[in-house]
Amino acid sequence: MLATLTEVFGGKRGSMAVTTGEVGVSSVPEESAGKGLKVGALGMLSSLVIGVASTAPAYSMAASLGFVTLAVGLFAPSVMILAFIPMLFIAAAYYYLNRADPDCGTTFTWVTRAMGPKTGWMAGWGILMTDLVVMPSLSQIAGSYTFSLFGANGLANSTFWVTFVGVIWIIVMTAICYIGIELSARTQVALLGAELVILVIFAIVALAKVYAGGVAHSVHPALAWLDPFKISSVGALAGGMLTAVFIYWGWDTAVTVNEEAKDARRTPGRAALLSTLVLLAIYLIVSIAAESFHGADYLSNSNNYNDVLNALGKDVLGSPWNKLLIIAVLTSASASTQTTILPAARSSLSMAVHRAVPKRLGDIHPRYLSPSFATALFGLIAIVWYVVLTILSPKDVLGNSILALGFGIAFYYGMTGFACVFYYRKHLFKNMKNFVFIGLAPLLGALILTVIFVVAIFYYSNPINSSSGNQAWFTFIHFNFTFLHQHFYVTKGLGPPVVLGLGLLLLGVPLMLFWRVRHPAFFQRDRELAESVDGSAPPLTPGVTPVTD
Amino acid sequence: MAGNIILGYDGSAGSKAALAVAVSVAGAFSAPLSIVFGYEPNPMGGETADYKNKLEKLGEDKVQGAVAEAKAIDPAVEIEALVVPLRPVESLLEAATERSARVIVVGGTGERPIVGAILGSVPHKLLYRSEVPVLVVPAGGE
Repeated sequence: MLATLTEVFGGKRGSMAVTTGEVGVSSVPEESAGKGLKVGALGMLSSLVIGVASTAPAYSMAASLGFVTLAVGLFAPSVMILAFIPMLFIAAAYYYLNRADPDCGTTFTWVTRAMGPKTGWMAGWGILMTDLVVMPSLSQIAGSYTFSLFGANGLANSTFWVTFVGVIWIIVMTAICYIGIELSARTQVALLGAELVILVIFAIVALAKVYAGGVAHSVHPALAWLDPFKISSVGALAGGMLTAVFIYWGWDTAVTVNEEAKDARRTPGRAALLSTLVLLAIYLIVSIAAESFHGADYLSNSNNYNDVLNALGKDVLGSPWNKLLIIAVLTSASASTQTTILPAARSSLSMAVHRAVPKRLGDIHPRYLSPSFATALFGLIAIVWYVVLTILSPKDVLGNSILALGFGIAFYYGMTGFACVFYYRKHLFKNMKNFVFIGLAPLLGALILTVIFVVAIFYYSNPINSSSGNQAWFTFIHFNFTFLHQHFYVTKGLGPPVVLGLGLLLLGVPLMLFWRVRHPAFFQRDRELAESVDGSAPPLTPGVTPVTD
Repeated sequence: MAGNIILGYDGSAGSKAALAVAVSVAGAFSAPLSIVFGYEPNPMGGETADYKNKLEKLGEDKVQGAVAEAKAIDPAVEIEALVVPLRPVESLLEAATERSARVIVVGGTGERPIVGAILGSVPHKLLYRSEVPVLVVPAGGE
């Protein structure tokens, strides 16, 4: 047998190619060491793809355009631009905090360092709740667009069947993350490329048909649509913004993931800038085209706001081409579901590593290498939450989720902004660059999100402003006051989005206090200050060293 | 080092079977044995530091166990253990190139082909991409 092996392996060696790429190899101490070890580098294109695909433009438009127009009418495009500003500012906070501590827990670890363990725990809770709240909207879109894809429009409107397919969607997506199936980089580029091309074709065809004339209720686009000052009230503006921050959610990945980029000095900035331009351009042309086709009322009426792209697709592209748009939304939703489950599990893992939640949430599957317990638990809770929400508010799962989501995003992105300023406060006045990018931008971003958060609470407290219309919870609550020249009032109970958005965040307080009594170790740490702007922070929990290359 | 025997090891039954074969091949050629564990978190999932740390620790535990096991089988074989932050197939290919490897030894998963196709079978990919011979050891075999 050995003779045979020698024959087989013998002559082969001369023909081996030598590659120049660096391997990352770390060796076990007692044995001979590998050297020259560097973590796999991300190129410009893959950074861009990760950032844009995580933001999921087609799904974001399908899920939110109806609700943005419900709040601000034809001025939706202006809100698309305006909502980007705080996100851009917060991205600066992500960029600098990530330099100090590229931790999976992101906001959780950063806020813990800068503002203390209790606030940090709540920020971590905010991330998890936001990830949870988005799941029903993803499943809802996946369910109804799946039926539309096969022309089963009756089933696409059936609450039961949409929920049924939505639950299967969560199970399949959770399994994919559990097992660790990944698309190759090339497939991702192709899918995202197709998604963007289809959206652009949709917008161009829609606009061409509008200018050709003969489309019912069509409106020619006007510059005024880009002017947020024409929006009727501050409340409506805040409501629109709260919905619109969601469409940029995930974009920060483009900034943080870039830390591993090949040319770390130039690639991150370029990829982030380019992904911004791509997203802004796509959101603008799609929202303008969608509004001009049948007018804003068509998007915001209760027949269509749940599936605007599907409703428009039939008239704009016609059958069977509208299926392309449906497929784009579905692939986009699947990318978005993945980029929800993976970070949720990793945030839980991070919290578990630092003993802020039960240890089991940090368990890694020996074969699939995924944070398996956290992944499975998240999938399970998402299903329960989706079904409960459907039962509580069957006609408006999507609207309630998108708005509640806005509260979650505003909360933890805002915390990230404040944490950045706090953490680097000794370095802010050393030079102009520090002041603008580490101080001013994150602070402004956080303040804008705080204002949106507060004003939107009062705006959506009034059930008539949410898409659920008359549905109100906690009917004993009522208030009536004027703020920023706006009249806010609630006569009979609160709108579901506020109850869901705030309720889930506040639920964290008792849980945090409970954990503090049971496992006080995590809470016995002091706040930290950045020692320098470039340096990396010491480990958050002693014995756990952050990976920095 | 050159002419190494590269072993892909993840602690599964197949990789344990492969370990025994790899040790005997290394012994027969008097070649050094490189025990490789590869991992790479999906970049779509955002930040990865804590996760990477845990995977690295897990990988180190696994390869260290494998080193002990290999030494028990044949104390004369020179062994190195590598934990590589690349996907399993990439880590094996890189290690093979860097070490001018003689052969890559991996365990068969014992899964049905369709399951392997869905999960992404390491031996299958290696057969297409490796420039050195690949030896696949069935999970049950010694």
